[in-house]
Amino acid sequence: MSYLSERSSDHPKAVVWMIGVFCAVMVVLVAAPSLAPSVFPYLNGLKVDTDPENMLSETEPVRVYHNEMKAAFALHDLIVVGVANETHESGVFNADTLKNVYALTELAETVRFSSAGGETDAETGGVIAVDIIAPSTVDIIEQAGPGAVSFNWLMAAPPATDDEAVLVREKAARMPMLNETLVSGDGEAIALYIPITSKDVSYRVARALKKKIATFTDGSDYHITGLPVAQDQFGVEMFRQMAISAPAAMVLIFILMWLFFRQWSLIVSPMLVAVAAVIGAMGLLVATGATVHIMSSMIPIFVMPIAVLDAVHILSDFYDRYPQYCDRRKTLTHVMDELWTPMVFTTLTTCAGFASLAFTPIPPVQVFGVFVAFGVFLAWLFTVTLVPAYIMLMPQRSLERFGAGAQRASGAGGGDEGPLGAFLRGVGALAVAQHKAIIVIFLGALVAAGYGVSKIQINDNPVKWFAADHEIRVADRALNEKFAGTYMAYLTLTAAGEDDAGALADEAGRILKDLGTPAAVETAAKIPGALAGVKDKEAFLAALERFADDKLADASDDAAWEAWDDVLLALDRARLQADIFKRPDVLAFVEGLQAHLQATGLVGKSNALPDVVKTVHRELLLGDEAAYRLPETAAGVAQTLITYQNSHRPQDLFKLVTPDYRTANLWIQMKSGDNVDMNTVIEAVDAYMAETAAPVALTHDWFGLTYINVVWQDKMVSGMLSAFLGSFIIVLLLMTLLFRSFAWGLLSLAPLMVTIAVIYGVIGFIGKDYDMPVAVLSALSLGLAVDYAIHFNARSRRLHKKIGDWPDAARAAFGEPARAIFRNVVVIGAGFLPLLLAPLTPYRTVGVFISAILVLAGVTTLLGLPAIITAFDGVFFFRKKRKGKTHA
Amino acid sequence: MRKLMFTLLAGAVALCGAAPVLGADSDTVQEIVNKASAAAYYRGKDGKAKVSMSIVDGRGRERSREFTIIRSDIGDEDNGDQRFYVFFNRPADVNRTAFMVWKNVDRDDDRWLYLPALDLVKRIAASDERTSFVGSHFFYEDVSGRGPTEDTHVLVEETENYFIVESTPKDPDAVEFSSYKNWIHKETFIPVKTEYYDASEDAYRTYSAVRVEVVGGYPTVMEARIEDQRIGGATTLYYNDVEYDIALPEDIFSERYLRNPPRRYLR
Repeated sequence: MSYLSERSSDHPKAVVWMIGVFCAVMVVLVAAPSLAPSVFPYLNGLKVDTDPENMLSETEPVRVYHNEMKAAFALHDLIVVGVANETHESGVFNADTLKNVYALTELAETVRFSSAGGETDAETGGVIAVDIIAPSTVDIIEQAGPGAVSFNWLMAAPPATDDEAVLVREKAARMPMLNETLVSGDGEAIALYIPITSKDVSYRVARALKKKIATFTDGSDYHITGLPVAQDQFGVEMFRQMAISAPAAMVLIFILMWLFFRQWSLIVSPMLVAVAAVIGAMGLLVATGATVHIMSSMIPIFVMPIAVLDAVHILSDFYDRYPQYCDRRKTLTHVMDELWTPMVFTTLTTCAGFASLAFTPIPPVQVFGVFVAFGVFLAWLFTVTLVPAYIMLMPQRSLERFGAGAQRASGAGGGDEGPLGAFLRGVGALAVAQHKAIIVIFLGALVAAGYGVSKIQINDNPVKWFAADHEIRVADRALNEKFAGTYMAYLTLTAAGEDDAGALADEAGRILKDLGTPAAVETAAKIPGALAGVKDKEAFLAALERFADDKLADASDDAAWEAWDDVLLALDRARLQADIFKRPDVLAFVEGLQAHLQATGLVGKSNALPDVVKTVHRELLLGDEAAYRLPETAAGVAQTLITYQNSHRPQDLFKLVTPDYRTANLWIQMKSGDNVDMNTVIEAVDAYMAETAAPVALTHDWFGLTYINVVWQDKMVSGMLSAFLGSFIIVLLLMTLLFRSFAWGLLSLAPLMVTIAVIYGVIGFIGKDYDMPVAVLSALSLGLAVDYAIHFNARSRRLHKKIGDWPDAARAAFGEPARAIFRNVVVIGAGFLPLLLAPLTPYRTVGVFISAILVLAGVTTLLGLPAIITAFDGVFFFRKKRKGKTHA
Repeated sequence: MRKLMFTLLAGAVALCGAAPVLGADSDTVQEIVNKASAAAYYRGKDGKAKVSMSIVDGRGRERSREFTIIRSDIGDEDNGDQRFYVFFNRPADVNRTAFMVWKNVDRDDDRWLYLPALDLVKRIAASDERTSFVGSHFFYEDVSGRGPTEDTHVLVEETENYFIVESTPKDPDAVEFSSYKNWIHKETFIPVKTEYYDASEDAYRTYSAVRVEVVGGYPTVMEARIEDQRIGGATTLYYNDVEYDIALPEDIFSERYLRNPPRRYLR
């Protein structure tokens, strides 16, 4: 028996005390700063993080760009309120509903808090009233009698009659920026977009809105959605998961162990090990300041079954051996001797599997991997100390019953003679006799799995992490059915050309030459002088303007004054050449891109600068549809835009273009947030940019959450693959070291390879998307599936050494070792099933597939390993056979 | 100390002669506001100013515009009808773009817009004067002046130099503020600061007269700024070449001249 277990058996009470104190310290370490953060400012309290953006590290270029652009275009996170009415003939466009929509908007405008919740203090948080998109807060431009246009609020006051309400719909439908965004395509629903200062106020804002909505009796449905709300909901569900699934797993494992061992007092020890390991892992996670994210919230449910695993091996062995020795110390020595090496190595491989996740580029996955690995290590430590100590502390009386019980229970599946024993002996015999068929079946499964893997579709969508009947999903479906889409992506187009003094000098020279007046010629002559010694284009232009200004001031008559005024205008015109997004040809290129996006069928709508220009142009020209086009000159565009800016919301223009008119922003609304769809749109844009000659060199880039999701998933897929390959090699090395044989090392990985191939093959076949939880599964199966192989191989080799002949050793291996493996498969495989109770789909996915992985790994271990050993026993027992012959 | 303050205040009041004191009746407050309006918008019979406008957004990004304002008071009556032109010079792509306003005391103003690149004159039917003036933080009303009778005024405080008047709109639905406060300089009656309050009584928008100089005998605001906390940033107007009483003919305020600006008056 190892030193650790021996010392623990000698001082069982000390062990129990030490682990108890450890747990108590961890609990206090987490509880104190969480419950009273002001008292313990130097300790880290519980921090929950539900922001999908955090799937990427804060310094990731795509996030840096995302934040830069959000600031550049003054875009904020949005709460979306969808209002639909199925009963009224005009949908929501009736006086009652619009009155309520008006009241809701008025309320939303006032939702402000002096402090934006725990994290950002002192700052005002809440709704950004000026940027709300609602009927009463947006401007429209429309005809107002002969030769007149008017700029007005779409709905300055609640309509008095239903007819007036319908008028609101008609006015909005004429505004391309509002149609299908504010007002649904079928003209029956309204969506309000309520920007908030930061995501962490979304709960309070949503609560204020819900309170108001509860007072409405107009018969409309009010759906509150939008990513910030979804995230809040996510946090709530996460805790529900931890509060329901983890304890449920514990209860289930407990029941299953009782079915196998029928001894309450004994099976308490694995539960204690599991609880202590979870407390240790989660406690350390919180204490180190890591956040509880969707991934890390799964730590308890992972650590718990794995923690029980080794203890089940010990108990299983102890249970079978005790009647033989009838002395707990002797039985323990035997059990620990036999299990020590496999337990060390299974722990090492599981740790390696999870720790490999630290090399993925996704911070929440890293945290998850590292702390599960730590939990697994703790579980091992507690198993080899607490379980022996606990056994030593048990009253003799219950042990006597235990021994007797074991023999009695053999009828119920315990010992060699029970149905379980008989079944497993049959399995062993089958594996040896039909080894060729089994190997052929496994190879066939590998080939089929390969085909399935080739069909895997990589895809994810955080909204789909909610179950299909969740209110978030219901709102999501309802809104995407009626509007252009709730999934936002933003595409920027930026002038790529040089904007320096040299280019400006060429431009100024050309324009002055076109002007051709003596004053222009005189000014043009000054260009080389002005250019010399300045690097900055403004300094260059300022030098020329000073020259012309002086001449203007000295002008003796109107004609001279006008001549120099024309020169100054020409110089400013040269300056404006840099404003590329005022150029009609550039805007036409953007228009073409928008049409191209629309043609993908995935984009509900794109809002961009050409839409604004064309709408204002149309209304300036009597509202004639034929005038819904771009003006012919840049000045025409500029004058259309200055007209547009005479509205209540002049700042809206700069959500579509930067004030220097060198970067344009396309707001793209999509009905699906699936990464595959986003990818198709990205490719469509790449194709358009590559195939269509832009009038000026442009670069394009993406931001927005729908795009960020694609980026992190790409990283996840490639990161997972390399993490998996890396840990595969580590595990192979460990196995080779453990068995001091490369052949045995490779053999140990066989069940794992078949398991992973088949699991991912099935995922490909059934069309399940390869998403975040599925990606993590590879590392999990690597850690778990190899465990059975280690136990089986290690003990088969021991038995072979003792017995000397493989088929005989195989028979022995299908005694106690196979029973331990079988019990483990059942206990742990079932232990993950409570995840199916979780309200979030990633947890369910993990639950189903982990159970499948464990069952499959059990099957491949118990059938595959003996079959392969039988087929190649010359390779595996080569030296021993030769030794045997020499002896003979 | 308090006594000293009181003495100073009493002295100031004495200096101003029959200056109103706190609690003065509303007629007197109305007089202050009328005088303030006249001081800010009706100096001389007519006038002209070249204006550079610097619009700085919440991120510190600056845009600038230059324009010339010419104004004529109908019948040289303070707080009466007026005619305005705003001719844009810069940026070059809006050069010759023009607004013409007929400010009417008894009804909505008439506004015209001329866009040279589209060769288009449009009447603008604006029921609401609190829309942005060409994308700046100034509203139309800040440029043309809010009618003194559109609000109910209360003199809330009087300091050594200022009357502080609080005004609440008679038609609250027509404006975005729930009240505003005006700091009116006692001597010149120039409003040097105006703060606008929302329904929660938070100040969200501030006008300030940054620099006042005497031009042609009239104290004149030469630099004015509006800061807006809701959208962030500020717009500053720099007035250059201010002239009064330049004998503008009234007939130039017509659609014909809108297309062909009287360059003589713009120089």
